[in-house]
Amino acid sequence: MKKAAILFLAIVFLFACGVRAAEVDVSAAASLREVVNALTDNFAKKQPGVEFRNNFGGSGALAKQIENGAPADLFFSANVEWMDYLKGKKLIDDKSVFIFAYNVLVFAGKADVLAARLQDIVRLDRIAVGSPKSVPCGQYTMEALMNAGLEKQVESKLVMCRDVRECLLYADRGEVDGAFVYKTDIELAGQAVRILFTVPQEYYSRVTYPAGLTVAGAKKAEAVAFLKFLRSAEAKKVLLEHGFAVK
Amino acid sequence: MFGFTPADYSAIYLSLKVSITATLISLPFGFAVAYLMTYRRFRGRVGVDVAVNLPLTLPPVVIGYLLLLLLGHQGPIGKFVLQPLGIRLIFTWKAAVIATAVVGFPLMVRSMRTAMEGIDERLVHVSRLLGARALDTIMTVIVPLSVRGIIAGSVLMFARGLGEFGATVIVAGNIPGVTQTIPLAIYEYASSPRGDVMALSLCAVSVVISVAVLFFHEWLGRRVVRAE
Repeated sequence: MKKAAILFLAIVFLFACGVRAAEVDVSAAASLREVVNALTDNFAKKQPGVEFRNNFGGSGALAKQIENGAPADLFFSANVEWMDYLKGKKLIDDKSVFIFAYNVLVFAGKADVLAARLQDIVRLDRIAVGSPKSVPCGQYTMEALMNAGLEKQVESKLVMCRDVRECLLYADRGEVDGAFVYKTDIELAGQAVRILFTVPQEYYSRVTYPAGLTVAGAKKAEAVAFLKFLRSAEAKKVLLEHGFAVK
Repeated sequence: MFGFTPADYSAIYLSLKVSITATLISLPFGFAVAYLMTYRRFRGRVGVDVAVNLPLTLPPVVIGYLLLLLLGHQGPIGKFVLQPLGIRLIFTWKAAVIATAVVGFPLMVRSMRTAMEGIDERLVHVSRLLGARALDTIMTVIVPLSVRGIIAGSVLMFARGLGEFGATVIVAGNIPGVTQTIPLAIYEYASSPRGDVMALSLCAVSVVISVAVLFFHEWLGRRVVRAE
């Protein structure tokens, strides 16, 4: 009995030790996985003692997690809509929000897929897109398809993915003919997948990444410092290296 | 009703269609397996038992993933059997049927086995002694006496199929109007910040269908008891 009590206390003690002040929770769009990991690694190297916990997913899904109380100090969305959504819920520190990167929508697939421009996709059988209900990449895609007047023709061919990286995975495995993803995602896929065409910018609003502190994060010095670091020349260099545009 | 979109209605229709098809396809196989497991002693019986029941304990995602590797473009069955025949399974509603069938199969077999094990063995022997062939014995003794288990197993499997998510999302994907069943539609709404109302409406539909299935199960059970 006594032993059990000691063991119990020891476990409680261990858990208590696990929570340290310098932990920063980041919720970031799936397309930012590599670049945000690189940025947080860089920052952590310079500021030992800061530990980042990065959570990636569809921006809408992340916004909903944060709304439901998921721990997050920083939120990086792949469109303005979900950042504004959290602002509207008073969960984001308004003053902290700024746009730190831009991206480009492309159509990716195996080299033997015959699609050289947007209009060609009506001939394909299965196309992966992010779910437009919560995945920004899918929202940009639907916007482009609607403006190009192709929406109805491809409707029943669209495989809805929970984030942009799942789209890419399907294309890489060859289970779909192609996928609408961001230019920056392509460098990650296997050799088989390449950019078949870039979606003309006039069809969709520019892919914009806002960053912001959550109300909880605004009180954390490390989170504030990281957001400041994101504006630095060094951070911009990392973003450019990963293929993002910064202006 | 509830402001459903056409895609939501087809999700409800698809869930029913996939689950019913999977159950009907599984019926003869389920019966055969249950019969073999109950009345025959053969080598590798334990192996079959484990294989049949494995989907019950395996995470459905594992089943979905293994099916994808097997039936997908690069998989052995997908590449050497399905593609030459021009059959495309992955990301069609047929893939959802296969996933649902595999996941629900053990439930069906278990119910049937329990019913068959409850049959007085002497009845089976007597029918054989009186000159009935194996098939006659099955059709005139075993099926009528285990019909409750067959129905219960089918209803159970159907109900389980309605909720199939993990395996389906991997092999059938999530195509509104084509492979998006109720659980997939709910999942999509649930991860959307503005989807709560729709997610809840679809949850309500799920509850209604499940309650209806349970009542049907109960009612059939009683009817069969009275008939006996």
